[in-house]
Amino acid sequence: MPLVEQTAGTAVLTVSEVAVRFGGVSALTDTSLLVQPGTVTGLIGPNGAGKTTLFNVISGLQTPDRGMVHLFDTDITAMKPHRRARLGLARTFQRLELFGSLTASENVQVGLESTVKWWEWRQLRRAVPWKRGSTVANANVPDVAQPPASGSLALATCDRLLEGVGLEGRGGQQSAAMSTGLARMVELARALAIGPKLLLLDEPGSGLDESETAALGELLCKLAAGGMAVLLVEHDMDLVMSICDHIYVLDFGDVIASGTPDQIRSDPMVQAAYLGEAAPVAEPVPGAPRPPQSIPDGFGGSP
Amino acid sequence: MSNFLQYTVFGVMVGAGYAIAATGLVVTYTTSGVFNFAQGAVGMIAALSYWELVSAHHVPVLLALVILLVFGASISGALVERVLMRRLHGASTERPVMVTLGLMVILTGVATLVWNPTTTRQVGNMVNGQFRLVGINIQYQEVLIIGVALAVAVALRALFYSSRTGYALRAVVDDPELLAMSGVSPNRMSQYGWILGFMMAALAGVLLAPTQTTGINIEAMTLLVVNGYAAAIVGRLKSIPVTFAAAIGIGLAENYILNYIVPHVPQTLVPDITNALPIVFLFIALVTVPAVRLRAAGRLTTVRAPRVASGKESLVAGVVFFGLAIVAAIVFSHTVFRGTTILALGGVVMSLGIVGLSLVLLTGYSGQVSLCQFSFMGIGAFVMGNIAGGGSLLGLLAATLVCAAVGALIALPTIRLRDLYLALATFAFASAVTRGFFADGHIYGNGGLSIGRIIVPGVSFGNDNAEFLMVTAFFVLAALMVLAIRRSLFGRRLVALNDSPAAYATVGLNIGFTKVAVFAIAAGMAGLAGALYGTVQGVVGQTDFEIFPGIIFVLFVTIWSIRTVSGAFLASLTYVVLSQVWFNGLGLFAGMGIILIGRAAGGILGIEALQFQLPWVKRSVTGTEGVTAGRQGAIPAIGGETRAAG
Repeated sequence: MPLVEQTAGTAVLTVSEVAVRFGGVSALTDTSLLVQPGTVTGLIGPNGAGKTTLFNVISGLQTPDRGMVHLFDTDITAMKPHRRARLGLARTFQRLELFGSLTASENVQVGLESTVKWWEWRQLRRAVPWKRGSTVANANVPDVAQPPASGSLALATCDRLLEGVGLEGRGGQQSAAMSTGLARMVELARALAIGPKLLLLDEPGSGLDESETAALGELLCKLAAGGMAVLLVEHDMDLVMSICDHIYVLDFGDVIASGTPDQIRSDPMVQAAYLGEAAPVAEPVPGAPRPPQSIPDGFGGSP
Repeated sequence: MSNFLQYTVFGVMVGAGYAIAATGLVVTYTTSGVFNFAQGAVGMIAALSYWELVSAHHVPVLLALVILLVFGASISGALVERVLMRRLHGASTERPVMVTLGLMVILTGVATLVWNPTTTRQVGNMVNGQFRLVGINIQYQEVLIIGVALAVAVALRALFYSSRTGYALRAVVDDPELLAMSGVSPNRMSQYGWILGFMMAALAGVLLAPTQTTGINIEAMTLLVVNGYAAAIVGRLKSIPVTFAAAIGIGLAENYILNYIVPHVPQTLVPDITNALPIVFLFIALVTVPAVRLRAAGRLTTVRAPRVASGKESLVAGVVFFGLAIVAAIVFSHTVFRGTTILALGGVVMSLGIVGLSLVLLTGYSGQVSLCQFSFMGIGAFVMGNIAGGGSLLGLLAATLVCAAVGALIALPTIRLRDLYLALATFAFASAVTRGFFADGHIYGNGGLSIGRIIVPGVSFGNDNAEFLMVTAFFVLAALMVLAIRRSLFGRRLVALNDSPAAYATVGLNIGFTKVAVFAIAAGMAGLAGALYGTVQGVVGQTDFEIFPGIIFVLFVTIWSIRTVSGAFLASLTYVVLSQVWFNGLGLFAGMGIILIGRAAGGILGIEALQFQLPWVKRSVTGTEGVTAGRQGAIPAIGGETRAAG
C-alpha cells in the first residue's frame, strides 16, 4: 500500500517528498502526506521523528532542502509565512508562542485584524448591521451574526472565539499569566481568528486535563465537520485514535505508515517501531496488567 | 605597481586589525549569544593601559602584554560574565544590548576621568624597523599585526572545532540545559567565552594603538571596532574564517578606495567619504548576508505589561501636564527665576522627551533598538535650519518627513535579519553621521547652524515662555499620539511582534512592513524633536548630536521605563539636569543605572515596591488571577456556531 494516497487533486495540503537536513542530521527524508478537507489528520511519531520540523516546513518557518508543499493548487514551498497564513494556513506551536504582553482577547484580536484590509478596519471597530457576518469572511470563525450587545464587532467576535475554546470571561487576562493549558487555548483561538482552511496543531492537548482534552477533541471534530482540515501532532494517543480520520506515522523523518486509526493500531511496522521487532504478544492473563494493544501514551513527544 | 603592492600590504594590515576586533565579537557572540557593544571600549582601555605601562612607566612590552592580556582582560571578562551577564540569561533581546552599552559608557567615562582627553598619548610600535620586499617597504609592526591576527584565527578555529572545550563553547548558546546534562557547566563555558572575547578586544586595542597617528583618542578607539561589524556580519556572527577573510577584504577595499578614488573627489568631501566607508561596508554586508530563518523561540514574556491609559485618561493627563507647564512658565518668568535659562532648559527637556517617546514606540513597544535617534535629531535640526529661513512650520514638517525617509532606508536592509542587526546598523549609522556628516564644516558651519524661532502668522513665539509652551504642546501631542498608537491595531501589532515574531508571521502579518513602518515613525519623531531642539537652542552644532550622549540617553529611558510615556519624560528630565550638574559623569550614571536595573524590563517605574509607594503611577494587574483560576474551565461545545458559519 502506498504511504501517500494519490488523491492530491482534492487535498487541502499536499507535501511532496520534502527533505530537511540540519548539518549531518536528516530531520525529514522525502516525506509526503496529504490532508483532505473536513478531516482531522494525525501526525504521530517518537521524539525527534521530525513532526515539528514538518510543521515548520508547512508553515514557512523552515525552508526544505528539496520537495514541494502545496496549499490546494498553490505552490507555497518558497512562500513567506505571512503569505501562507493569508491563504488560510494557521498553526499553533509546541512551545507556546503567545503575545504574552497582550491580553487573551488582544491575542485573538491581532489574529482577527490580520484578515481584513486596512480600509476595512473601521468595520471591525463598529457594529455595522449590514456588514455583520460578512466582515470576517471566513467559514470557520464562530458565527458573528448575533449583534454584539455593546462594543465593537471585533471584540464581540473575539469573545465568541474565546468562549468557543473555553475561555469565557478570561479575555481581559494577560496571556503570559495564564496556565499552560489555557494559554494553548488562547493560541488555538488566535489561529481560528484568521479563518483557516488548514489548521496545524502542535500538541494542543499538552497541559490539559482529561475533561478539557475531551472537549478539545469534540471541538476539533466540529471544526472538521464545518469543512476545516486539521493536521494534529499529539502525544495523547487516546485523543488521536478517537478523533483522527487518517494518521501518518513518522519515524526518523520518514513516513513509515499511514491509514485509519485501526490500520495504524495493527500495522506491524508501527508495532515494530514502538514496541520492538521481537516484542511478543502474550495472551492476557486474568488479573495481570494488560499488555499494550495499541501505541502507548507519551509516544508523540517533541520533534 | 609598487604603489598597488604598498596599498595591498597596508590594506591587509588594517584588515588584520579589523579581523582581531571582529573575531573577538564573534567569539563572545558564539559563546554567550550576546553582542558585546563594549568590545571597542575594552580595547580602548587596554590601549590606554598599555600606554600607561610602557610609555609612562617603562614596563617591558612583553611584561605589559602579560599583565594586560593574561591578568587584566581575563579577570575583567570573567567578572563581567559573572556579575553582569549571567543574570541576563533568558531576558529579552534588547536587554543584553543595553547592558553592554552601559558597560561601554562606563568604560569611556572612567577613561575620561583617569586619562585626561586633552593630553596626547602616542604609543610607539612594538617592533621597529622595516625591510624591502619586491620593491616595497614593509614595517615589522605590519608583519606582527598580520601574523598575530592569523595566529589568533587559526588557534580559535582549532579550539572551536577540534577540542571538547570548543564543542562545549559552541553548544552553550544553542542549549545550555542540554549541555549541563552532559556534565559541562554552561556558566563556565560562557565565562570562558567572555574571557576570550575580552582578551581579543585587549589584543586588538594594543596592536591598533600605534596606528593612531594623532594619539589614542578615547572615542575614536572605542568606535574603531565599528569597522569590524561588517566583517562579523559577513561571518554571520559565527564563522571565524569567514569573518577573518571579510575583514581582510574590507581593509583592502578601504585602502584601494582611499588611494585610488578619494584623491579624485573634492577635498572637502574626503572626511565624509572616509568616515562613511564603515557604514557603506556594513550596508553591503547586511544586504548580501542570507536572511535569518524565523524561529519559534518558545520564549514567553513574563513581564507584566504596563497599563495603557484610555483615550480619556490620556487626554486628562495631557491637559493637566500642559496646565502645570503653564504654571511653571509663569513662575519661572515672573519670579526670582526671571532671567535664568530654566525655561530654555525646559524646552530642551520637552524636545528630548519627544526623542524618548520615539524610543517608547520603537523599543518599548516593538522591541527594536535604535542607537541613532540623536543622529536623526541632528538631521532634523539641519533640515529645519535650511528650510524657509530656519524657523517655520514647514521646516518642522520637512524635518519629520526627511528623517522618516532616512529611517526607512536604514531599517530596510535589516528587515530580513535579527533585531540585533538593526541595532548594529543604527550604531554604525550614528558613528558615520557623527564623524562624517556632522563634522563637516559645511553642515553646521564653524560657528554652528542658526535656527530661528518658529513664526506662525498671528501667534508669537518670540519669548522664552511662548516657546517653552509650544515645545511642551508638541511633547504632549506626541505623547497622546504614542498612547493612541499603543491602543490601536498598529500598537497591538507592535507588541505582538515584540513578543513572538514567529507567531506574528503565522497569523498573516508582514514583519518587514511593520518594522520599517515603526522605525520610520520613530525616526520622524526624532527629526521633529531635533528641529524643536534647534529652535530652543537657537544655534546647534555637531557636539549637540554626538553618538555617546545619544546612547546614554537611550540608557536613561531604559532605566526609567522604556515602555511608558512617563519613563520618556523622566529620562529626559534626568538627562538634562545631570548634564547641567556633571556632563562627564552622565555615562557613569547611565551605565551604573542600567546595570543596577539589570533584567527588569519595566525599569524603575516597573518596580513593584516603588509602585506601592507611588500609587498614582498606575500599572497593569491583569492576568494575576489567571494563574490560580486557570485550570477550572473546561472547553464547552462550539460546534453549533462553527457549523452554522461553515
